[in-house]
Amino acid sequence: MTETFDIAIVGAGITGCAIARQLARFDLSICVVEAANDIALGASKANGGLVHAGYDPAPGTVKAQVNARGCELYGTWAQELGFLFCRTGSMVLGFNDEDRAHLEKLRQNGLANGVPQLAIIGPERIHELEPRASAQAACALWCPSTGYVDPFEVAIAALENAVDNGVRFMRSAPVEAIEVAGSGDDARFTLATPVGDVRCRYLINAAGNGAADISHMAGAEEFQMVWRQGNIVVLDKEPRTLMPLYPVPTPVSKGVIVTGTVHGNTVITATAAVREPGDTQTYASDVNALLTGARKLVPDLDTRHVVRAFAGGRPVIQGTNDFFIGQSAVVPGLFQAAGIQSPGVASAPAIAERMELVMRETGVELHERADWNPIRRAPDDFDRAPLTRKEELIESDPAWGQIVCRCETVPEAEIVAAIRRQPGAVSVEGVKRRCRAGMGRCQSGFCQSRVVAILARELGCDPSEVLLEDAGSWLVEGPLKGVR
Amino acid sequence: MAEFKSSAIDCNVVEAVQTQAFDVVVIGGGPAGMAAALAAHKAGARVAIVEREQHLGGILRQCIHPGFGLSHFKQELTGPEYAQRFIDQVRATDIALFLDSMVIGIDSGEDTGASSVDEGAGTAAVHTVTLMNPSGMLQLTGRAVVLAMGCRERTRSEIKIPGSRPAGVFTAGLAQRYINIENLKPGSRAVILGSGDIGLIMARRCTLEGISVEGVYELMPYANGLRRNVKNCLDDFGIPLHLSTTVTRVIGHDRVEAVEVSQVDERLAPIPGTERIVPCDTLLLSVGLIPENELSVAAGVELDPRTRGAVVDQCLQTGVPGIFACGNVLHVHDLADNVTAESERAGAAAAAYALGTGAGAVPDCELSVSPAGIAGYALPGRITAVALTKLNFRVRRPVNAARVRILAGDEELLTGKVRPFKPSVMESFPLPPKVIQRALDLGASEIVLSVDPVEEE
Repeated sequence: MTETFDIAIVGAGITGCAIARQLARFDLSICVVEAANDIALGASKANGGLVHAGYDPAPGTVKAQVNARGCELYGTWAQELGFLFCRTGSMVLGFNDEDRAHLEKLRQNGLANGVPQLAIIGPERIHELEPRASAQAACALWCPSTGYVDPFEVAIAALENAVDNGVRFMRSAPVEAIEVAGSGDDARFTLATPVGDVRCRYLINAAGNGAADISHMAGAEEFQMVWRQGNIVVLDKEPRTLMPLYPVPTPVSKGVIVTGTVHGNTVITATAAVREPGDTQTYASDVNALLTGARKLVPDLDTRHVVRAFAGGRPVIQGTNDFFIGQSAVVPGLFQAAGIQSPGVASAPAIAERMELVMRETGVELHERADWNPIRRAPDDFDRAPLTRKEELIESDPAWGQIVCRCETVPEAEIVAAIRRQPGAVSVEGVKRRCRAGMGRCQSGFCQSRVVAILARELGCDPSEVLLEDAGSWLVEGPLKGVR
Repeated sequence: MAEFKSSAIDCNVVEAVQTQAFDVVVIGGGPAGMAAALAAHKAGARVAIVEREQHLGGILRQCIHPGFGLSHFKQELTGPEYAQRFIDQVRATDIALFLDSMVIGIDSGEDTGASSVDEGAGTAAVHTVTLMNPSGMLQLTGRAVVLAMGCRERTRSEIKIPGSRPAGVFTAGLAQRYINIENLKPGSRAVILGSGDIGLIMARRCTLEGISVEGVYELMPYANGLRRNVKNCLDDFGIPLHLSTTVTRVIGHDRVEAVEVSQVDERLAPIPGTERIVPCDTLLLSVGLIPENELSVAAGVELDPRTRGAVVDQCLQTGVPGIFACGNVLHVHDLADNVTAESERAGAAAAAYALGTGAGAVPDCELSVSPAGIAGYALPGRITAVALTKLNFRVRRPVNAARVRILAGDEELLTGKVRPFKPSVMESFPLPPKVIQRALDLGASEIVLSVDPVEEE
């Protein structure tokens, strides 16, 4: 089976989803082709969720341009797409004179990159802003524009909105080969996938850690990906959510950052070590480094209650720390959004905006559709809903009153909605990313069997066919005794 | 064997209304909640039980092994049978049942109520329990509230097992639910980490269901479960128990393919070079239980960091007047029978508080109780009456010979017999009134329960 589109975007990470959303406003047929069975299963999944402000990247780099702009755009994106975004501001804590000099350099960077309202502050102001910040901190770079999001939610929201505007989402469709015809062809690229071929006129490479392979398959730029792995730890919820606190950065990463999350947990993110491509293991040494690093910033942090530790690889292009966004110099019609490592989440809306601009500049005709809907109606979040809304929901359907996940207060109806939305959840983890069932402190010990039963019912399959995540991740073998 | 029937209790389900008033509201319908509710009812209180599942019985519903009731009923029962006896008793009363109901908050009337606590227990602040169920939102008021929410299992993340995150890593209780309630087979080849009672029982259960158990691995140099379970569940089935060994890596991207195990040193750190790969498709974790106190904390109840349960007095009353706690939400018990006994005391005390028939609002003493030596905790943490008080504790490591000593300042008030102690057993040590009085006479504000190993002859 072959389907033809104007544009195919390879990769449904936060970058691909944001680009799909940006381009969905134009009169074009678009398909997002994803190797995994769900959205945001690569670097976007293993992410601290910080919307960095943009004082880090060296002025003049692509990163510098899209980071600050992306951070700025998050307000509008959050409003239109109905995802949670907290613009709390952040501090980079300095402990000595050397750090202070570094903070000043960061401030200068930030000024050059257009980051607003940066200021170097002293201990008194530090503790006014975040009383739990280390008393040893002598100075800090205060950056009011920093914030945080749930990175899955951003990617899912962007793609839901894109799909609502006619974008096609193909999951479990790893690109195995790319055929490129002459440049005059209306559908010059043919992508071969196990679920069918996709033909398109323009190809956008947003394949994250697979970007080098896609570029290679298309006969475009040759580059290598480096798997700069990071471990991340999520701690239990606290009564008051922490402001993001950064140490002075190292040459390769921003160091171990402590931050609150939109759901009230604390996240410690992230280590940085080059490891075998595809290695998503956590390491005892990394987890210890995170907990130790975090306590330097927040000495009273209770690091006993780890809810989850996970790891992922930053898609770094060997030889550069920068993003590669633009039309391929070798294969016209192929547009690259590659090397989107940190700050990929913060930059995503601006990368999408820049991709639109690049396409326009290279002569792609973009005509706005009259019926484009920028608004995505967020699903009801029962736990956060006001009491009156909770009552309304239960009245509309008793399944809203049937709590399945006790830690995060997720009722059955919310899980069903997560499965039925487009594109919906097809796995236990997919349900978790959409509505938080199983994301809490018991890590699905109490609710997993019930989520499996709901998935089996909704997807019309046997519990033994229900997956934790992607293909092969079966949870139960089948019935124990012959009859069920 | 008593079959558990889900419809058996429907007749007691209360139609949802906006607010209903009770003397005692019990949160949790497991063994603790049922025993507390029955005791409060017996004392003449109007009682409600709020249970988040569709059935009473709590975790006992999936504990189909025997070993329950030996002390309470002088008879060996399975978990569901033990639970059914209480369910039948509850059904025979007018205790109101709110099933499928999740408590979302407990508000104590202290701040808003015009009536003062000083006027006596009869007019004490009223607690409001807000709950939701498929019929809607509902508020229950109670002069007393009994917290009986039980505990949850520690997870892989809490003990920080490194490696990948495939399907096939289950807490032992979740696997127990899949097997005993859902009739689903979680895998074919299992490794069990942790020799707590649930881990031991699941080793036997898996074996009986045709799941091969490669071994039980235990971080500590001794088994953590009851002696009888090591014998009945491992020894009898030839399942090896590897002490001072832990899982140091989970292997497999989509589904567990193997685990790496390593021996640990005296400081429980893995010893490099001792790693061994054990092929399996399932890893069961029985690595400890944690009282589920999120509601308690939100209600202003102070917790003891040692038990992770509430700090209570000898009547099992928490620091918030009128809120009581019992069962595994207070401290993790060894036997359901002990949960029952403790919860009956809590229920009776809650009723006495609610009905104003208690000993009176003015405490005649104020002593804190602290553990020392190898005692991991001491409960109750506060003593507010000169009366016979049962002190519960567990030791942190097994010893062949040790004695309990009760101290106030430098003075030794009481000593127990020299005997062996094991961490798997929840110990009980009675404190006579005259000992408490002696501590008060000495002007002490604290009693210390110390368990001290003695040199063997």
